Amino acid sequence: MSAALEPYPVLLDVLDDGTLTTELLAPNWTPSRRWWPLFAISGALSILFFVAIGVTVARGIGAWGNNIPVAWAYGIVDFVWWIGIGHAGTFISAFLLLLNQRWRASINRIAEAMTLFALVNASLFPLLHLGRPWFFYWLIPYPSTMGVWPNFKSSLPWDVAAISTYFTVSLLFWYLGLVPDLAAARDRAPGLLRRRIYGVFALGWRGRATEWRQYRLAYTLLAGLATPLVISVHSIVSLDFSITQLPGWHSTIFPPYFVVGAIYSGFAMVLMLVLPLRRAFGLERVITAQHLDNMGKLLLVTGSMVAYAYVCEAFVAWYSGDPFERYTMLFARPLGPYAVVFWIMTTFNVVTPQFFWSGRLRTSPLALFIAGVLIWAGMWMERFVIIVGSLNRDFLPSSWHFYAPTWVDWSLLIGSIGLFSFLFLTFLRWVPFVPVSEVKRLRFEEQRDARVPVGAANDAA
Amino acid sequence: MPKYDRWLEFPEGVASEPDALSRRDFVSLVGASIALAGLTGCVRKPDREILSYIDTPPEVVPGQPLHYATSMTIDGYATGLIVESHEGRPTKIEGNPDHPASLGASGILEQASVLQLYDPHRAKAPRAGRTTTTLDAVRAALAPPALTRRVGARGAGLRLLLEPTSSPLIASLLNEVRTRYPDAAIFYLAALESPSSIIAARSTLGAPLAPQYDFSQADAIVSLDADFLTSGPFHLRHAADFGARRRRSPAAQLYMAETAPSPTSTLADRRIALSPSGIARIAAALLDAVQSPNATASLGEVPLSEPERAWVAAVERTLGVHRGRSIVLAGPRQPQEVHAIAYALNDALGNVGHTTWYSPPAVLDAGEQSHDPAAFAASLEQGADTLLICDVNVCYAAPADLDMARHVSAVPNGMYLGAYEDETARTTAWHVPASHYLESWGDARAYDGTLSLVQPLIAPLYQSLSVAELLGALAGLGTVNVHDLLTKEWGHQHAGADAATAWNDALRRGVVTDSSSQRSTPAVNRPAALDARRSIAPQTAAPNGIEVVFAPSHGVHDGRFANNPWLQELPDPITKLTWDNAALVAPALAATHDIQTGRVVRLAVGPASLDIPALVVPGHAADVVTLIMGYGRDGAESTARGVGVDANRLRTGRAPFAASGARLVRTGDHHALAITQSHWTTEGRAPSILGQAPANGETHATTKRRRPLTLYEPKAPSSTGFGADQWAMTIDLDLCTGCSACVVACQAENNIPVVGKQGVLESREMHWLRIDRYVDGNESAPRFETQPMLCQHCEKAPCEYVCPVNATVHSDDGLNEMVYNRCVGTRFCSNNCPYKVRRFNWFDYNDELAETERMAKNPSVTVRERGVMEKCTFCVQRIRRAQIDSELAHEPHVRSVMTACQQSCPTRAIVFGSLTQPESEVVRLTNDSRAFSALEELGTVPRVRYLRRSSDSSPATDGGRS
Repeated sequence: MSAALEPYPVLLDVLDDGTLTTELLAPNWTPSRRWWPLFAISGALSILFFVAIGVTVARGIGAWGNNIPVAWAYGIVDFVWWIGIGHAGTFISAFLLLLNQRWRASINRIAEAMTLFALVNASLFPLLHLGRPWFFYWLIPYPSTMGVWPNFKSSLPWDVAAISTYFTVSLLFWYLGLVPDLAAARDRAPGLLRRRIYGVFALGWRGRATEWRQYRLAYTLLAGLATPLVISVHSIVSLDFSITQLPGWHSTIFPPYFVVGAIYSGFAMVLMLVLPLRRAFGLERVITAQHLDNMGKLLLVTGSMVAYAYVCEAFVAWYSGDPFERYTMLFARPLGPYAVVFWIMTTFNVVTPQFFWSGRLRTSPLALFIAGVLIWAGMWMERFVIIVGSLNRDFLPSSWHFYAPTWVDWSLLIGSIGLFSFLFLTFLRWVPFVPVSEVKRLRFEEQRDARVPVGAANDAA
Repeated sequence: MPKYDRWLEFPEGVASEPDALSRRDFVSLVGASIALAGLTGCVRKPDREILSYIDTPPEVVPGQPLHYATSMTIDGYATGLIVESHEGRPTKIEGNPDHPASLGASGILEQASVLQLYDPHRAKAPRAGRTTTTLDAVRAALAPPALTRRVGARGAGLRLLLEPTSSPLIASLLNEVRTRYPDAAIFYLAALESPSSIIAARSTLGAPLAPQYDFSQADAIVSLDADFLTSGPFHLRHAADFGARRRRSPAAQLYMAETAPSPTSTLADRRIALSPSGIARIAAALLDAVQSPNATASLGEVPLSEPERAWVAAVERTLGVHRGRSIVLAGPRQPQEVHAIAYALNDALGNVGHTTWYSPPAVLDAGEQSHDPAAFAASLEQGADTLLICDVNVCYAAPADLDMARHVSAVPNGMYLGAYEDETARTTAWHVPASHYLESWGDARAYDGTLSLVQPLIAPLYQSLSVAELLGALAGLGTVNVHDLLTKEWGHQHAGADAATAWNDALRRGVVTDSSSQRSTPAVNRPAALDARRSIAPQTAAPNGIEVVFAPSHGVHDGRFANNPWLQELPDPITKLTWDNAALVAPALAATHDIQTGRVVRLAVGPASLDIPALVVPGHAADVVTLIMGYGRDGAESTARGVGVDANRLRTGRAPFAASGARLVRTGDHHALAITQSHWTTEGRAPSILGQAPANGETHATTKRRRPLTLYEPKAPSSTGFGADQWAMTIDLDLCTGCSACVVACQAENNIPVVGKQGVLESREMHWLRIDRYVDGNESAPRFETQPMLCQHCEKAPCEYVCPVNATVHSDDGLNEMVYNRCVGTRFCSNNCPYKVRRFNWFDYNDELAETERMAKNPSVTVRERGVMEKCTFCVQRIRRAQIDSELAHEPHVRSVMTACQQSCPTRAIVFGSLTQPESEVVRLTNDSRAFSALEELGTVPRVRYLRRSSDSSPATDGGRS
């Protein structure tokens, strides 16, 4: 790596392996009072989430604000948003692994857990969103006695396939990476019970060289499998929209646009999670200025691509000459009933990342955190603008109607954030959230590379 | 304690009541009637044989509906109907093709009346004071021995109030009452009835006559505030005639002068928006223009604005060309001067005897003092002891300044026969449930005098009486059997052996042959007409303050249908307002008073004032407020109660349909109005949506059916069997008034649920067929266009390929089918439907229905559950039944099948048929030069084709200022 590209070290005050392990596993052993309010708040919000689910299932989708023409609204907005967030984890762990970006090592576990929990939320929404959720399995191709298959022309069965694949691979990838650390936790856990529990989940890992060899092989293979999924899943999700003929949805730019947007929102959320953790657990030595710098750059890149997609969408609508497309893109969105959301979204998503041309801001945790929150919210609004903003004014003005969410819609959105937080806190409390083995490996590689000439790092990997 | 098995069918007291009813008996009776109401499969046959319309099967075949002819009367005038009955349950109402007021079509009120029968809020047992009583007790109280003690031997203390009636049976019963009580006073009241046309006829024509029109022969029509295509007792006939004429070329010209845009005006070639005084002025100016100049010179010129002058000039030119083949008609609630001028104009133009003539009014005593609500109120103060009100909710519907509730409650012995415990029931000591017309025998005349019979399809659901039964008791006939009275009367008039055959024939056909009134063509008394002209003083040009017009509700009429959820949820044809009434104001007036739609305004006329939400309507006359009547009900009917504002509070007995000098103030309040279509314009999309020529001067882009590019030839339909017919529909926008009869017909046929005001506010209305209304042009002088929008049954349906579970698929005969029990409710289909005609069951709408309401469901159509999509099926149940019939007859094609919307359409704008039958009308119209598909450029290849307006380029409204 060139020094100009990586001006900061990725690991500070390199200690020996033993200290590193002790230090990184410490949060799992030392309960703090600070956990309880966090658990209480996120737990309460999770209960709200399940109450809202109960109301939806008991009374019907009518409990939501959806209507005709806006048959999809918060439910699908939340779904696309969460699944987009879920992209950053795999991108960081798999994509960057294959590209040999070493800095990923210290944050990939957090990103993967985020992916997993985001996917849990994301997969709940399409189920809840059905008018008759108890028949969700009709979307799955199984040899039904009725002899009816799903309609493979529809993108929704593709969604089912894409999301279930992605969830499975993400889960395996996350768990596989976790195995050596679980073994380390087993070996160091205070108390027999914990040793036993970690022992079960460590699957008998002994740290033998053959195990490491097979582990690395499997991990790289899974990374290879997961990488195309980063591209495919959100491409397929975007087809839920682009296979229709609705102005604002009927667009070929959607697959790349959605993928970039997904990674963008995922990075925003990674920042929101990593920066407070870094401070709370004193992880400055393993999550260094270099990480922040890299994340800032990625925000800048993906944010600019998203901005490009916004411009492209509007331009193509104008260039197509189609009056319906033109109305949606050039009038309804910037000036229509949801213009406020559109302009906030544009500001948050297009303007915010441009601050990270500045190197100083790129390494400022506060600036990055604020940007993360803004983009995280801005990307939710982007999905709202695409979905509700297109549906509420389509072809026939006679059917146009405003959409307003109900308390159930809000509870599902806020509750899903609560459920995510609850799962994530649980993860932080009991699972090694910085990959101990990978950081140790990174330490080794850094020390080794310090002895080799600059620029030869790639060969050494 | 009655035995359990006696509860099932005809428990004691339903057919005839026990003389004395113990509390225990009463409880068991009520229990039994509730249980009966729940037995939806139970046959409740009328107690006399009734005859089916065409061919009575030897026995009822389960699953096969039977059809019976009957009639429904509104304000005394009958419309002939054919009612579909499933195992003794009337479920669907159609027009009777043999009846002159229907010709096979039916209006929204007739269509929705079946729901009124099953209304769970109907009163179920008679009441005396606060205690429930029996029908025998009611009859005993009315019987002469008891009554003469109260009202005197000559009945001086007896007052009767009825709905205006044309029934010969009621007339003869009233005669019997009069014979017994010569001093009794009989009155008639219908809130929307105005005597002005009859009074004008008496003064200008010399006799109380009702004008009759034949629109099928008219080349030019001038309507002075007459919404003749969608309201009034003969509107179905007028619409049919108008439609027949409009199909012929060159088209008839229709000129309208009116206050608020009406459905009729959507078809007008030239429309002017005027205040009531403006309509009077323009009528006078028209008379001046048409008559020889010296005839009216002495009266002075009527001051006219520029647009008014242009309108009058254009009308006068057209009328001059079409002498003898034109019609000038005045709206029913116009003052008598305008009616007189209309008669004089028809006379001067030589129309009388050709396109218009006169006949004696069908209702009794029309135009007499007995139809005056003020006279009724006054008579109550003069020693009234017993008041009998038959089916008139007088305490709600009368103008407020008559203070009817006080008058009625002051009568010591009041009895009210009414279907509901409504405002009037509250003021009388007795309340007797009124039978629905589908539960009672009777007869009635249509507007042209044609006599038709009312035959019941079901025994009374509750302890109720019909008006005839009540009058029978009053006349001292005791418990009368109306059927026997009718046949007796019939026997008097049809002597000879074939009287019974003729009776059966009349029952079967629903019409008594050749019973219409005599035509007369009296000449106009010129001085009387000039008097009318003179009384329209020039100073009416500048009325002070704001004028107020009281207009009937399109859906709930004068309020009597306010408890009917179908009609409450039916969007107004112009404003698209549901579940409310409003003060309609012009955009100009709204701007000067800073009013927006939904803003509550305070409207004060004299001492009375009213807080009512405003609704800004393009094309409304400026400086006028139109108040919709029929809302603000305060009875015990919980659907009607509290919906809207009671406009009667501003009405006066002296001028019940218009007021001037009103003051309008904006209040700070806001009221959410449930409007189904809040966008008025097409946003420049008229070429795509309405098939109009693009603004850039190009001609109509597509007139031929265009197929999307495809590698494969479309599959040719099979020549026999399933798929041999390819169903398609055409809708002629030249003929659609937007009257919405099709919407209610569809709702009744297809078990479409009602979602309530909150549901409409959330845009969740379930109508499979809606009427889109667009305006074009400037706000004060717009052109209106309506477009029925239903599932287009696209050959390349966008909904089908996005459904993940194959719940919406294409049938071999070209229907876009919805498989309810396969649907999981992703709503993806709705998102991809460019017409947004798919409806979603957001809740379990049928769960909340009362047991009786369930009886109104059509058993041939699935009742949909929560969470599934639904939409227009092209009435697939009717197609399949016709298909079975044609298969049994070994015919290769289905010969005749009508969709519910098509059947109800008064102008026959909707045509349905198979594209594979070359001789069918639908094939001819599909290939018509006016045919287009909505949003054709999307390549969905709809099976519904519209015929665009041929009058695209004609001038629209003249200025909005009055």
